[in-house]
Amino acid sequence: MERNELQPRLRQALSGASAQRAWTAASGQRFMAVLLLLAALFVFFSLTQERFFTSGNIDALLTSASILWVVSIGLTFVMIAGGFDLSLGSMLALTGVALGSLFNDLSLPIGPAILLTLALGLVLGGGVNGFLIGRIGLSFLVVTLGTLILFQGALNLWSDTKTEQVISPLLDSLAFDALLGVPVPVWIMAAVFLVALYVQRSTYFGRDIYAVGGSPDAARLSGIKVSRTIIAVYAMAGLLAALGGVLQVARIGAASPLVGEALIFDAAAAVLLGGTSFAGGVGGVGGTAVGVLFLATLQNGLSVSGVESFWQQIITGAILIAAVLLDKVQREGWSGLRRAGGRVT
Amino acid sequence: MSEPALEVRGMHKSYGGVRALRGVDMHLWPGEVHALVGENGSGKSTLLRIVAGQLVPDSGRLWLDGRELRFRDASQAIAAGIATVTQETTLVPDLSVTENIFLGHRKVRARYGIDWRATRARAREALARLGLTGIDPGAPVRRLRPDEQQLVEIARAISIDARVLILDEPTSSLSDDEVEGLFKVVRKMARQDVAVVFVSHRIGEVFEIADRATILRDGQVVGSEPMERYDRSRMIQLMTGRALEELTLDRGRHMAKDPVLRVRGLSVPGRVHDASLEVGRGEIVGLAGLLGAGRSELLEALFGVHGRARGAVEVGGVPVRHARPLEAMSGGLAYVPADRKNLGLVLDMSVRENVLMARTARQARVRHPRRSAEQRAVGDSMREFRILAGSQLASVSQLSGGNQQKVVLAKWLGTQPRVVLMDEPTRGVDVGAKAEIYRLLNRAKEDGVGIVVSSSETPELLLLCDRILVMYRGRIVAALSREEATEGLIARYGMGHG
Repeated sequence: MERNELQPRLRQALSGASAQRAWTAASGQRFMAVLLLLAALFVFFSLTQERFFTSGNIDALLTSASILWVVSIGLTFVMIAGGFDLSLGSMLALTGVALGSLFNDLSLPIGPAILLTLALGLVLGGGVNGFLIGRIGLSFLVVTLGTLILFQGALNLWSDTKTEQVISPLLDSLAFDALLGVPVPVWIMAAVFLVALYVQRSTYFGRDIYAVGGSPDAARLSGIKVSRTIIAVYAMAGLLAALGGVLQVARIGAASPLVGEALIFDAAAAVLLGGTSFAGGVGGVGGTAVGVLFLATLQNGLSVSGVESFWQQIITGAILIAAVLLDKVQREGWSGLRRAGGRVT
Repeated sequence: MSEPALEVRGMHKSYGGVRALRGVDMHLWPGEVHALVGENGSGKSTLLRIVAGQLVPDSGRLWLDGRELRFRDASQAIAAGIATVTQETTLVPDLSVTENIFLGHRKVRARYGIDWRATRARAREALARLGLTGIDPGAPVRRLRPDEQQLVEIARAISIDARVLILDEPTSSLSDDEVEGLFKVVRKMARQDVAVVFVSHRIGEVFEIADRATILRDGQVVGSEPMERYDRSRMIQLMTGRALEELTLDRGRHMAKDPVLRVRGLSVPGRVHDASLEVGRGEIVGLAGLLGAGRSELLEALFGVHGRARGAVEVGGVPVRHARPLEAMSGGLAYVPADRKNLGLVLDMSVRENVLMARTARQARVRHPRRSAEQRAVGDSMREFRILAGSQLASVSQLSGGNQQKVVLAKWLGTQPRVVLMDEPTRGVDVGAKAEIYRLLNRAKEDGVGIVVSSSETPELLLLCDRILVMYRGRIVAALSREEATEGLIARYGMGHG
């Protein structure tokens, strides 16, 4: 307790207001270590693999990360609000199949088909997951596990487990064209990121998400509409999963029921690497961007180096654990590790 | 008194350049109740955590019954016979009292498994040694009152034959008669040659229970003497390093002509029965009564915390819906809850975000907050409420209890409320911050805000309030003017002797 009171005052006395702000900002970024690691990885692959740092490969690296990127950003908001959404992967597949069906079976033009698909994600996320969790008050793990299975079943029925071709010039250009020399998926990533960053940092809604994740009771007593905030974050996650579904269909030129199965694990890893925690109330999309880029760089670099892809999983898992370990040491010192031993909470 | 039960010598502890303890010595004799007092930040908690094995000192030595010990973690301290009871209980709520007393591997073994009959008998014995015959050893802890849970923790300490019992602010959430019950138990412990360390912000309690007191200031011992050598003002002077300021509050003799808050027939099933009250502009009305008398529940009902209340609430003559906090806020109410850390603040968020949280609740959610305006508003609040924080962006979890409470006050008084409801406004804050909070309340009062203060500290109510309502089992049983109210009268009504 003493420490907590004295430190800020001391730091202020030593460093003045601006240095103080810088210190707070830097130490507040829990993803700092992962960012450094990402930079190191980038330099390492650039030096050892001449095929790595080429514009073609960097484009490929970013483009391949686009689906994980949008889904992880949606998941970030859910996790800051103190929840989780296991169903995002199957929602992505389901919305992909929906797009194929709207376009092929109902012969809708591609534009409206895409918009309807996005709306479907919004409704499934907000109206089903968000409603059951935020309004009815059910456990987010149970609800999203339920919808994970339910969506999976629905999409297998709907698609008859068959992959169906979706041939559209617009979808094609979404995945493969470039604008001003930058691939369209990268533009989409940038747009999603900037909007998310704006929502997170510069709206009252963004603050509500942190308040709800930090302490839902305190948030409610402050007049924040907690249910509505929770419904909104699941709706956003659903919308972004649907956008991921559209990008997925565009990339493979087909609506497949087989995509997205392991996606939620990668997304969770990226969000956690980025410093957002399961406890809620902390983190942000900036960190998630770093986490996704880290995973994408690792995968791309290893495959360029000709290393078996299983190594990527081993390294990702180890680094994820190392990152939370480092975070704990930073906050509590080395003694924190030993003291926690055997304690359940 | 051959040798001390616990001796601490030359304790030093620094946190990153900040010296929390600077060579502290302390002796604890068997059978004595030893008060450890000091303002927040004086080093009390650090010293206690070192003694309890939760913290490793930079230097310094520690003897228990003449044997030098070095703890690497809390379990070693417990094994050596040092038990700690804090305000937060460490009991497992769904297990029985017996299981909690003998948590871990200390139950009586049968040939196969546990001999529950014998274990329960020993639990009953441990409770009986403290005179706690009213507690059923088979009852799940969840069903006990908070004060009873604390007593179960002490029974657990006795069952491990503790030599030293540390009571860290055990009374802060107890009502007066519960404190009496606790003190009885503490005296019984002391009579069994246990050395008791007693920490409290309530000076009156220290004088009531302690044999000796050690006073810490800025990490050093500034006094360690038998209680006869102290009086209240000298003790506070030693703690703060300055003479006690006389608190002079303008308590406005008159009842305001127009009541700003009018409550008729407020009921919460099983908690509050048909409560009616009025609060005038610029009036402070106190709610007294034992824990569980319905004080907190009355305030919660007014603010729509649970949304189960019936009854009519008017603010400034206008009916206010109170099914949800947002409705109550729109009606001009503000609510400072007793549980600062979980309900008053979002600890992970910054001072700025917490201060602004309530006053921006009615803005459109997609709106862009104006940073410079916010920065100015929060800067003004921090000056006005004398909030000591590194910056507006510092996390409130880093602040002391008193500063956190000032953030909560800034948050709610910033909503320009017409009525402020406060539950235990000074719980767990030090003497200096208490005076500041009283000053701020007085300011709000001068601005014409109607204030309802619920407190388990009767002297606080007598100091602050123009009128005091006493509750007993969910009903308002007495309304006392400032002139009539005395501790004795309030206690009498509070215990139901109408």
